[in-house]
Amino acid sequence: MKPFAFFPGCLIPVRYPAMEFAIRQTLPKLGIEIVDLEGASCCPDPIYFKSKDKVAWLSVAARNLTLAEDLGLDVFTNCSGCTATLSEAYHLLKNDELREKVNRRLKKIGRKYKGTSRVRHVATLVRDEAGYDAVRESVVRPLDGMKMAIHYGCHLLKPSKIMNVDDPNNPEVLEKMVEAIGATPVRHRNWYLCCGKACQHEAIPLNMMHALLGTVKDVEAEILCLICPTCFSQFDHGQMKVAKHFNDDYHIPPVYYFQLLAYAQGIPYDKLGFDRQRFKPESLQRFATSSAQVEN
Amino acid sequence: MTKARKPNNDDVVKVDFDFRRQLAKKVEGNLASFCYQCGACVGDCPAATYSDEFNPREIMLKVLYGLGEELLVENSVLWQCTNCYNCAERCPQDVKPVEVIISLKNMLADLNIYPPTVEKIIGTFEKTGRTTPLSPAVDRQRERFGLPPMKPVPMDEISKLLEPASDEEDDAE
Repeated sequence: MKPFAFFPGCLIPVRYPAMEFAIRQTLPKLGIEIVDLEGASCCPDPIYFKSKDKVAWLSVAARNLTLAEDLGLDVFTNCSGCTATLSEAYHLLKNDELREKVNRRLKKIGRKYKGTSRVRHVATLVRDEAGYDAVRESVVRPLDGMKMAIHYGCHLLKPSKIMNVDDPNNPEVLEKMVEAIGATPVRHRNWYLCCGKACQHEAIPLNMMHALLGTVKDVEAEILCLICPTCFSQFDHGQMKVAKHFNDDYHIPPVYYFQLLAYAQGIPYDKLGFDRQRFKPESLQRFATSSAQVEN
Repeated sequence: MTKARKPNNDDVVKVDFDFRRQLAKKVEGNLASFCYQCGACVGDCPAATYSDEFNPREIMLKVLYGLGEELLVENSVLWQCTNCYNCAERCPQDVKPVEVIISLKNMLADLNIYPPTVEKIIGTFEKTGRTTPLSPAVDRQRERFGLPPMKPVPMDEISKLLEPASDEEDDAE
């Protein structure tokens, strides 16, 4: 097993522990060893705190990266926001002047940022370190014929010169990951749209989500598969607001990819926290008897 | 669309260089200087698509003209940005309009102007080191999934990082 430092962030461990559970269940089956980071803080978030003070934001991000550097490990996150902050910090701190400025702050707490720990989102970590075939082989009940729309969100792919993981105009990593669990990925017309969470305006995100959910419905997807907890909150809780505002009804359950993988690997439906969602992926249960369920 | 301020006879191309100097001190705050107003950032901008008020090219133009007083206000249009980075992908000049907008928000923060939701989340982070507040219910939910309780963040370290080092040039002034 290859070890990687796990940076869980805030939103997943605090509000969506089922997602963290799924990560911890699925990765060891793909040969990835999870090493916990002691003393990590918020990444900090790339929307709110970054808007206050970019230098302080970079300094706290750099401190989080030094925790992985201390262990001599690369770091992975389960959240697109954390991936954005830590990747951008890793990129910006290649600049000597900025690194020196940040290190002057880190010196106050006896730390030094070196730039030796690479940052990856768990989806691309799995692609690069385990591969799609390993995912396929780990599956005990393939989700055959289940149509899944994919929401990439923004920060997994962009800015592409920093994230450097896939073609932002025609990505394939999540399609391949969905295929590896036996399901059928479907691309809907508004696949590239943002979830709108960062926008501090009432109508813009509502209109965006309305447009996006509409095209997901057009392609008759059963699930909206995504890899970011912020996008998840938009399409779960937010979907209720959209439905009310436009007097429309979609009932499209958003599901975090690693919960789908955990289910396909045999973890029972009722252990995966789907009861906590506003829109529950109940159609998954048709696979419950299709193969032996593994007790974890 | 927001009307760009029309110059009149008393006030033709009066660029506020002080505003631009202050902006340039922010991390990646000087990037707008390379903008040649091609508008590539607008086509794929979701906020521009769904709002008549938001236009990244116009924001870059205001920066070039030094029209800080139109951007650094309560309820600024800057907060309509969705931070999707499409503009940074499309820009042929590597201006990264989204980063210029975040630098402008740093200037808003220097003036202590925030939307209430943003101020609240920043406050939670500065107090606890996390953006999502903890509660006993959180640990009960975690326990259900066999996960250990959340650990406190070493705030003595985080608080020190939020302040400039004694030998650091003060950006905010």
